[in-house]
Amino acid sequence: MKLIYSILAALLVMGVVSCQKELPDLEQPEQYVVGSFSEEFEAFWNGMNSNYVFWDVDPTDWDAVYTKYKPLFAQLNINRDADIRKAYTYYREMTANLVDSHYALIPSNNALLDSATINPAYKRIQKRSDFHPGISEQYYYNYVYQYYMGRNGLRSIDSTAGSVMVAGKISNSVLYFHFSQFDIKSRYENGSTADRQVLQYFFNALNDNSLTGVILDLRGNGGGNLADLNFLMGSFTDKAYTFGATRSKGGPGRLDYTPWIDAKVTPKTGARSFTKPVIVITDQYSVSMAEITAMAVKALPNGNGRVVGERTWGANGPLISNVFYNGGQFSTALFNLVYTSSQMLRYKDGIVYEGVGFPPDVTVNLNIPSFQAGRDNQLERAITLIGQ
Amino acid sequence: MKNKCTGFILLLMVLALPSYAQWSVGLEGGYNQNALYTNAGALSFTKYAPLHGFSVGIPVQYQVKDWFSIQADPQFIQKNYQMKRTQFFEGIYQDNLNSYVKLPLMGHFTFGGEKLKGFLNLGGYASYWAMGKIKGVQADIFSDIESSSDTQQYDRFLELKKGYSYNESYTFDDRKDNRLELGWLAGVGVSYQYKKYQFFVEGRYYQSLTDQQKDYMINQVPRYNQTYTAQIGCLYQFTKKPKQSSSSN
Repeated sequence: MKLIYSILAALLVMGVVSCQKELPDLEQPEQYVVGSFSEEFEAFWNGMNSNYVFWDVDPTDWDAVYTKYKPLFAQLNINRDADIRKAYTYYREMTANLVDSHYALIPSNNALLDSATINPAYKRIQKRSDFHPGISEQYYYNYVYQYYMGRNGLRSIDSTAGSVMVAGKISNSVLYFHFSQFDIKSRYENGSTADRQVLQYFFNALNDNSLTGVILDLRGNGGGNLADLNFLMGSFTDKAYTFGATRSKGGPGRLDYTPWIDAKVTPKTGARSFTKPVIVITDQYSVSMAEITAMAVKALPNGNGRVVGERTWGANGPLISNVFYNGGQFSTALFNLVYTSSQMLRYKDGIVYEGVGFPPDVTVNLNIPSFQAGRDNQLERAITLIGQ
Repeated sequence: MKNKCTGFILLLMVLALPSYAQWSVGLEGGYNQNALYTNAGALSFTKYAPLHGFSVGIPVQYQVKDWFSIQADPQFIQKNYQMKRTQFFEGIYQDNLNSYVKLPLMGHFTFGGEKLKGFLNLGGYASYWAMGKIKGVQADIFSDIESSSDTQQYDRFLELKKGYSYNESYTFDDRKDNRLELGWLAGVGVSYQYKKYQFFVEGRYYQSLTDQQKDYMINQVPRYNQTYTAQIGCLYQFTKKPKQSSSSN
C-alpha cells in the first residue's frame, strides 16, 4: 500500500509539471531572415509588440491586427512589386491609429521608392479644425527680425539644413528667441561664428535687469537633441525642478514598464533664477523637444512660465537608439526605419499628451488673413501678456 | 490542461482521507531563493536573475498513518527576482520583491526510526500575490554627464546618463498581473521527536504552474516562479500518540 501511494505521488508530480506553457523564441526584427511576407509580417508585428512603448495608452488592438493581417500577408509574394505595394497599404492601415506622434514607417524597398513615409500623426494633424500650413522659417529670419525687433538683435541661417536662429529685443525690453530645431548646444560648441554669437547674445541678455520678460518662439520647431533641455531651460533656474516623468519598457510584454522616474531640468553652472515672465509660443508644428520645452517652461519653479498659441503636435516621447532603453525604433526588410519613441513621457499633472498635443494656457489660433497682412496675432498676444 | 491539473489535486485530496487521527500545530521559518522560469524575449543586454527572500508559516499536520500525514502550512513567503541590464548597461536593474500569502497542502511521508525520521513532502499550493515592492536604478534620459575631455572613453551607460534610484510599492495592473498562483511542491527533510515536540529541518521546492501574467497578448513570454526554500520549524502534538503498529502495509 505504501508503495502504491508513493507511485501515485510521483505520478502526481510528473503530471503537473506538464501544465506549464512553452516559452516563445523571440528575436529582434532585424534578425529575421525574410524570404516571404509571412516572415516580414512576423518581424514587424513582433517588433512592434515588444518595442512600441505606448501600448498602455494606445487604442489599437494589436492582437486583432495580428489575427486580421497575418492571413492577408500570407497571400502576398515578397518578390512581386504589386504585392509589395499592397503590403504598404496594409501597413498604413495597421498603424493608422497609433498614438505615437513620432511614428513613421520609412520604406526601403525599390518598389516603394515613390511611396511616402507612413506618418499617422500627420494625417491626424490635417484633420484638426485649426489646421493650417506651417510658417516659413524665412518669416522669422526676415520679418520678425526686421518688423518686430527693428533689427535689434542677431540672427544666423543654415541654408543647407534650412534652419535659422533669431534672437533680439522687442521694444528694447522683451527678449525674443526663435530657432528651427533643437541643436543649439552643438551649435554653441561646434557651430558657425554667427550661431555662437546669436546664442551668446541670448544667454547674456538673460542677465539684463531691464528685461520685462522672455519669449521663446517654438512655432515650427521640429525638435531635436535632448541635451538642449538643460542647455536652454537650465539658464532660467538655479535649482533642479521636475516637469514630468518618463518610463521605459521593463520587459518583453506589451504592458511591462519600469516605474515613472522624474523628468527634471538641471540648472547650468552659475545660472540665476529668472523671475520675469517667460512665454513660450507653440503651434501644431511644435514637435518633440519643442513640446517638452513648453512643458518645462510651464513648470518653472517661480510660476512665471506660460504657453501661448496652439496645441502642439503631440510627440512627447523621447527618442534614442533602441538598445539604450529596450524600446523604440527598429527596422525590417521592408522598412529602413520604424521610427518610434523610446520612452513614454507625462507632464507633471500626470497626463500623457502623446497623440493629443500639449495644450496652451492661452489659446491663440493663427489668424491667417491677418498674418498674410503682416500681423502675427500669436506673437503680439505673447508680447501683450509679458506686459501684463 | 486545467482539468488535468485539477484532477491531480483531487487525487492528492483522496490520498489524504483520514483513518488515523493526530493533530500537530507549529511554527516554521525559512530562507529561499526564487527565480523566474522565463526569458527576456528580444530585449538586448537584459536578463532575469534569482533573488533571496524569506518565509514564515504555521504548519498544521494531521496524521493518518504512522508513516503518512496530511500537512498544510499557511505562510507568508517572498518570491523575489531581479531584472538587470548587462555589459555596457551594468548598474541598471530592478529588484522585484513580491510577497505572497500561500496555502500549501501536501502528503507528508515519513520513514526511519522512532525519534529521528526522514520525511518527504509532496503536494500542491495556492497562493495570492498580496503585495510587491520594486527598487532599482534606471538611467535618467534628461541627465547628461559632461565629458571631462574630448578623448574621454566610456565603459558604462551610467557614465553618460545619471542613474535614478527608486524604491517604491509596485502598482498592480489588472490587465496584466495574475495574482493567483497555483503550483506543486516537493520537500525532503529530517525531524526529531522530543516528547510532544517535533523539530524539523526541510529543503522544499515550489514550482508555479500558473503564469504570473494574465493571458493578455499573442506571443506572451510566460513567467513562472521557482522557489527553493530551506526552513526549520517545530510541531507540537495536541493529541496523545497512539501505540505504533509494528509495520505498515
